[in-house]
Amino acid sequence: MTAYLIRRLFQMVIVVFVVSIFMFFLFNIAPGGPLTGLQQQQRRITAEDRARIRAQYELDLAWPWRYTRWLVGWPDGPVTIAGNQYLADMVVGCYMEATPEEGGGCIDTVTLAEVPQLHPAVKSSRGIVFGDFGKSTVVQPGQPVFGLLMSRLPATLQLQIPSLLLALLVGVPLGIYSAVRQYSKFDYTFTTAAFIGSSMPTFFFGLLFILAFSVIPSLNQDQFPWLIALPPGLQKAVRPYELAPGWPTINPGTPVDLFLHMLMPVTVLTIINVAFWSRFLRSSMLEVLRQDYVRTARAKGLREALVINKHALRNALIPFITVLVLTIPGLFAGAILTETVFAWPGMGRLYNEALQRSDYNIALAFIYVTTILTVLATLLGDILYAVVDPRIRYS
Amino acid sequence: MQTKKFLVLSLFVLMAMVLGACAAPAGVPAAAPAGGEAAAPAADGGEFTVLNPVLGDVAVRTALAQCIDRDALIASVYPTLDAETKVALQMDSNLPKTHWAWSGPYDFPQYDVEAGSATLDAAGWTLPEGESVRVKDGESLVLKFVTTNAAFRQTWSAVMIQNLAECGIQIIPTYAPASWWFGDTTGLARRDFELGAFAWVGEADPGGRTLYACNQIPLPNNGWEGQNSMGWCNEVASNAIIKANNTLTKEDRAVQYDIFQKEFAKDVVSIPLFQRAEAEAFTTDLTGPQIDPTEYSSWNLAEWKLADGGDTIVIGMSQEPDSMWQLVSSMAATAYVQKPTGLNRPYVQANYDFAPFPGYQDALSTIENGLATNNDVEVKAGDTVYSKDGEPVTLEKDAVVFDKDGNEVTYDGTSPLTMKQLVVDYKFLPVTWSDGTPVSIADFQLAQKIDCDKESGATSFITCESIQDIQWADDGSLAFTVTYLPGVQTPTYFLSPFDHPYPSHQVTTDGRTLADVPAAEWLTLKEIAELPLSFGPYMVKEWNKGQNLVLEKNPYWAGEVATPNVIFVFIPDTNQAQAQLINGDVDLLEKSTLGAQFEPLLPAVESGQLNLEISPSPTWEHMDINLYLP
Repeated sequence: MTAYLIRRLFQMVIVVFVVSIFMFFLFNIAPGGPLTGLQQQQRRITAEDRARIRAQYELDLAWPWRYTRWLVGWPDGPVTIAGNQYLADMVVGCYMEATPEEGGGCIDTVTLAEVPQLHPAVKSSRGIVFGDFGKSTVVQPGQPVFGLLMSRLPATLQLQIPSLLLALLVGVPLGIYSAVRQYSKFDYTFTTAAFIGSSMPTFFFGLLFILAFSVIPSLNQDQFPWLIALPPGLQKAVRPYELAPGWPTINPGTPVDLFLHMLMPVTVLTIINVAFWSRFLRSSMLEVLRQDYVRTARAKGLREALVINKHALRNALIPFITVLVLTIPGLFAGAILTETVFAWPGMGRLYNEALQRSDYNIALAFIYVTTILTVLATLLGDILYAVVDPRIRYS
Repeated sequence: MQTKKFLVLSLFVLMAMVLGACAAPAGVPAAAPAGGEAAAPAADGGEFTVLNPVLGDVAVRTALAQCIDRDALIASVYPTLDAETKVALQMDSNLPKTHWAWSGPYDFPQYDVEAGSATLDAAGWTLPEGESVRVKDGESLVLKFVTTNAAFRQTWSAVMIQNLAECGIQIIPTYAPASWWFGDTTGLARRDFELGAFAWVGEADPGGRTLYACNQIPLPNNGWEGQNSMGWCNEVASNAIIKANNTLTKEDRAVQYDIFQKEFAKDVVSIPLFQRAEAEAFTTDLTGPQIDPTEYSSWNLAEWKLADGGDTIVIGMSQEPDSMWQLVSSMAATAYVQKPTGLNRPYVQANYDFAPFPGYQDALSTIENGLATNNDVEVKAGDTVYSKDGEPVTLEKDAVVFDKDGNEVTYDGTSPLTMKQLVVDYKFLPVTWSDGTPVSIADFQLAQKIDCDKESGATSFITCESIQDIQWADDGSLAFTVTYLPGVQTPTYFLSPFDHPYPSHQVTTDGRTLADVPAAEWLTLKEIAELPLSFGPYMVKEWNKGQNLVLEKNPYWAGEVATPNVIFVFIPDTNQAQAQLINGDVDLLEKSTLGAQFEPLLPAVESGQLNLEISPSPTWEHMDINLYLP
């Protein structure tokens, strides 16, 4: 097992490295970038202006050097050994390109010696490997990415954890019951509902809920004052409010306020998870129920409840481990659409904004952390397999 | 085994990528032979020097304009607008009809299918019987059209393509991602289009020089500098737009803009399609917002009141400011939030015109009120002056400048030359920072030092570079006199060259005073980028990233503030924002949040819950025509 773990950890490091380099490369070749729209500012931007602005985003450096600076914070200047500087004249980028009339190519290269001046430490990252995710370039220019991510994480966990727990509590029994009662009216109703639930996009449910529980009641409270209008979005209110005329006032930040604001987004996420998980468990359970050992257990005269709970369910849950552990990266990554539709200030919304506005440092940090969590979750899943299934041995 | 092979292969690919990129970083001519074909400059006969044989013909361009039903385009994207508003969105030049520099109507080709067909017939583009596309010399009239993939643009484009098909013009559309179309080195920036649609934003100062002057054509040989992506060089129009941007009085400018707009209508190099509509909605409980095309409604936030006497106004915004430091932020969201704090443009830009901000200035510094003078000054070789192209140059032989009479002069290198020189007194009323310290002249000096420092992160330093000298008041008043370089005739000279003062006395968390912090670090300073001191009616109380930004009354503001607290909540989704307004969670949705998506609000408007103000936006859609082949 120890050898297996060491091997897996080594593979994980390679996977994370390969993913990071591919992500960096893809962002590098994608059209657009932080300078998108510069040309649409109705003012004169000279070639010198453009060069200076490019350098602010480190676009004056060749992408492999940008990558190593992002990864380990190197190079930050000439190589210094025992007080002597080496490679000071090594070209690592181009500050300003020449026009064809000037012969093309680069008229002002960036050398290692110029790096400390063009990219001072105050604006640079010590490297993501050392926990420095760099600074945001567009969404919140100059602000540390780590701080931005941490400011959004609590909101994402506040949404994800209850919805996952609820989905487990509801989805698992539903899937089992549906499998046990295969082809019953319940099973048909459940499979239809689960099919709809897993087919509909999250934003559809989100908008439907907002319309049904917030907009329509609000518009009709004059005629029907008893109609309750739920808060349509945000993590919490910013000023006191009432659910319906004459109802008690709810103050921002109170447990009731937080609960009411969580109600719709958590429900939407739960529906999606329940639909997916219960379908998965149903098919897993059905497969197990057809196994010989279940038939044997029944033939031995065991009670049906014992057959289901002890022999069938425990085996049906084994593949479910894979599904479950892969929710771990989701806890960090959040739900992009749900958070956007409900104006929830979570990680998913931040990532979406970073992508749309070409804030590569935020987007890369997000992908990097999600990658690490995914490989860790996969490892955890594999270990759990060995724990719960005696047939599996790692050597 | 397979996994190992894959890993080895991946590592090889990666090494190849890395080594390849290291060997030849962007722009470094490592591989291309010097003087070889790849490195040869695009001189005569190079890129964008050969006239497009189809679109270079003004008859074809005129026919394009005649074949596009702009009313149908407007109806396709704004189906619920009333007829009066739709008419207000029509354009016949590069300026809205409500702009002071518009002196139309102009003779821009209007929608007339028959006239369009006749124009094409006369130009030799005929429609063979049974065919749907016109031909000339065996060539079909097929044009490539590029715009963004925004649903809004795809909607009106579909109508336009249908319109042009009715005239026998086939359009091949490309709906590209905005990141490509507006990219720094792709799409529009490289003139990679035949017909290209996008929008410009109109302003109180009509500008236009970088968009239409002959020397503003982006070419490989000038490093793609300029925004005249059509490649249009009409000497009359170019001189007019340059003069209009080098003339101080509004009346004289209007004359030049009139000349320009007539040429613009004649040459049909860009087809103005329509002004966008925009809406701002607020609850009927709220009074005070003044919706304006060119000024943020938040400029008079201090006058807004809630009917129930509530002490907190909530404003919904789709975008969150990127920084509270205006120098490095070009976001409308930043400007909207900053306007009532004083930390953004200390003047009002309402209805395409300028006015002093009440409480900051009594008057803008104009020649008419004696706060500015435009003197004659003699210059000689070696002096730094402003060139015809609008940049500081050393006066030497062959330099092209404007003389004192506004005539274009090529300097002979020896003779004395008389040019105009602007000297402007900028005077501000006494105001106090939100920490109780009065704003001092040192704060304006710090503004000049930081705003003109190239390490600050600002995009452009054009204003800083146009200044010859500044004299600061030493009598305790907030006044300074700027002497601009000879030849600087910036029409907006009456606006302070520095947007606002900085609190030079403020001590940062690490114990330094702001005046001692290098410009390169300002972007990361919480005291500047997040919670700056202000001197306007409101100050920033807290900023909960991703959620809201809270303003509260500045206790040291001398004027009235009707509602002490204002909260800006950030709601990225328009549907959600509308729901919040209907539900009463927010009191106002500003126009960039709502755009023209107001239909879901109509029931609430009809029931008297909401006010909805729809107006023509200064943003106007147009289609540029690239006159030259790449």
